Amino acid sequence: MKSINRLIHLFEDSLLISLLISMIVLASGQIALRNFFDMGLVWIDPLLRLLVLWTGLIGATVASRDNKHIRIDLISHFFNKRIHLLIQTMVGMFTTFICGVIAWHGARWVHMDFTDKLLGFSDLPAWTLEIIIPVAFGLIALRYLNHSICWCGMFINYDREQVDT
Amino acid sequence: MSIVSPLLLLMAIMRTPLFVVIAASALYGFYTEDIDLSVVSIEIYRLAEMPVLLAIPLFTFAGYMLGEGQASQRLVNLTHSLLGWLPGGLAIVAIVACALFTAFTGASGVTIVALGALLYPALKEAGYSEKFNLGLLTSSGSLGLLFAPALPLILYGVVAQQMDLDQPISIDQLFIAGALPGLLMLFLLSIYSMMQPRNESIQSKKKHPPAWQSIKDARWELPLPILVLGGIYSGIFAVSEAAAVTAMYVLVTEVFIIREIKIKQLPGIIRESMILVGGIMIILGVSLASTNYLIDTEVPSRLFDFIREHIDDKLTFLILLNIFLLVLGMMLDIFSALVIIVPIILPIAVGYGVDPVHLGIIFLANMQLGYFTPPVGMNLFIASYRFDKPVMTLYKATIPFFLILLVAVLIITYWPWLTLALIQ
Repeated sequence: MKSINRLIHLFEDSLLISLLISMIVLASGQIALRNFFDMGLVWIDPLLRLLVLWTGLIGATVASRDNKHIRIDLISHFFNKRIHLLIQTMVGMFTTFICGVIAWHGARWVHMDFTDKLLGFSDLPAWTLEIIIPVAFGLIALRYLNHSICWCGMFINYDREQVDT
Repeated sequence: MSIVSPLLLLMAIMRTPLFVVIAASALYGFYTEDIDLSVVSIEIYRLAEMPVLLAIPLFTFAGYMLGEGQASQRLVNLTHSLLGWLPGGLAIVAIVACALFTAFTGASGVTIVALGALLYPALKEAGYSEKFNLGLLTSSGSLGLLFAPALPLILYGVVAQQMDLDQPISIDQLFIAGALPGLLMLFLLSIYSMMQPRNESIQSKKKHPPAWQSIKDARWELPLPILVLGGIYSGIFAVSEAAAVTAMYVLVTEVFIIREIKIKQLPGIIRESMILVGGIMIILGVSLASTNYLIDTEVPSRLFDFIREHIDDKLTFLILLNIFLLVLGMMLDIFSALVIIVPIILPIAVGYGVDPVHLGIIFLANMQLGYFTPPVGMNLFIASYRFDKPVMTLYKATIPFFLILLVAVLIITYWPWLTLALIQ
């Protein structure tokens, strides 16, 4: 399980790096072409926009590895660590549920475009471009499920650990 | 909706990721209207239809690169040799350097981490009191927000463009509009710094590199502001193109020419910067869905009618807006506040005759204060961590700076000319 996880992390990281480097190279390349050679490649701009979506969503799945998403923290100071773990577990389950719903309905949409043989830019099948949405939300859901199980375990074992230490 | 909204609000203040809260409200809204829930994914996919968004990952990456190397040290040296001779020179150096650095690194707290370490001991040596020193650096961490190419300005433009206003709004306009209000803030803070008493006895006579040396050291970073600002303001580059040039330039100079950042550090920098980008983009994506729902159900216009019944003049509206935004800034970070609140208040403000560009600058100026307003201002915690001081000490140290910048925010709000003069 751990090695699968490490493999996925490695895959995400390398994808992020190659996407960002491609964005930089393609975008500056397009500017150079336009200004020095008075020409432009039509596929670069839509591809760049797509890369932004992919980079953003993969960045978001990487952020959920360590629960690094932007959030408000107003009341956690008022609770002790044990209650805090309980709240965290609930929040994690809720996040899993919501991301799961988005992933499921996203997958339905991608499947529809797959059966309709819809085409995206450069006549690529649209589903290949859209698939990142259900995949990213699915991964985020799984990560928060994992977080919740950890938090829940810490919550249940909290008393025992207190006695042990 | 009756029970769901308070429930979601409760989830939000209990550290639920904000994108989840926004997504949940959109999903619930579409569900009650019997709309297929795959619409949320379709809305998120619209992130791939906005050319300007390319600027967000590219500027963020460039900002993280600059934060990683010694660019901050060179910036301080350079500002010092140009402004150090002024009375209160070093404090002004700190203010200007922080503003420039924040504009380029996107107000993610990098400024305090990167510049704080240099300026904190330097200000101490120059004889400034500890309290002034901490207050200045904590509040300067968000100072450059109104200057191009700061990320929040771009994001406001993106959100406002989704609203189908009668008056089109461009990011270039926002970049120009922020200049004078931003300078006003720098000016007021500089005056306050000049009036600060200094303990002459502990002033050291530390040698700073001569002007030509610091210019020479910074020769690779110096073209950046000219490239970006000149390029955008003269119309040679679109915003996303300026971001591409910046990212490419910073990558090549820092890695291959100055060689401060090793290739093997790159994956880490890219990952860290893209985590921030991912956090912003996913909120933006789901908020496209919730905004769509809001507009479909005419929430802003109904809200406007309701407010209109109780407030009939623009001035009262602006006063309430300031109070609302200040409170908002205490709780929400700037990126979430932009995507959640702007779609609701922009149509209302336009209804009261507020220019959308002016509203953007008011919004960001208020949010800038929120960065260091208790209880949850992000920069307070970053500064507390960075300078190893209790947050309470920083609360107290930032009070005078809060009041000064509050004056600036009020001037910006009630004197639209300051914002709109350069774009008219």
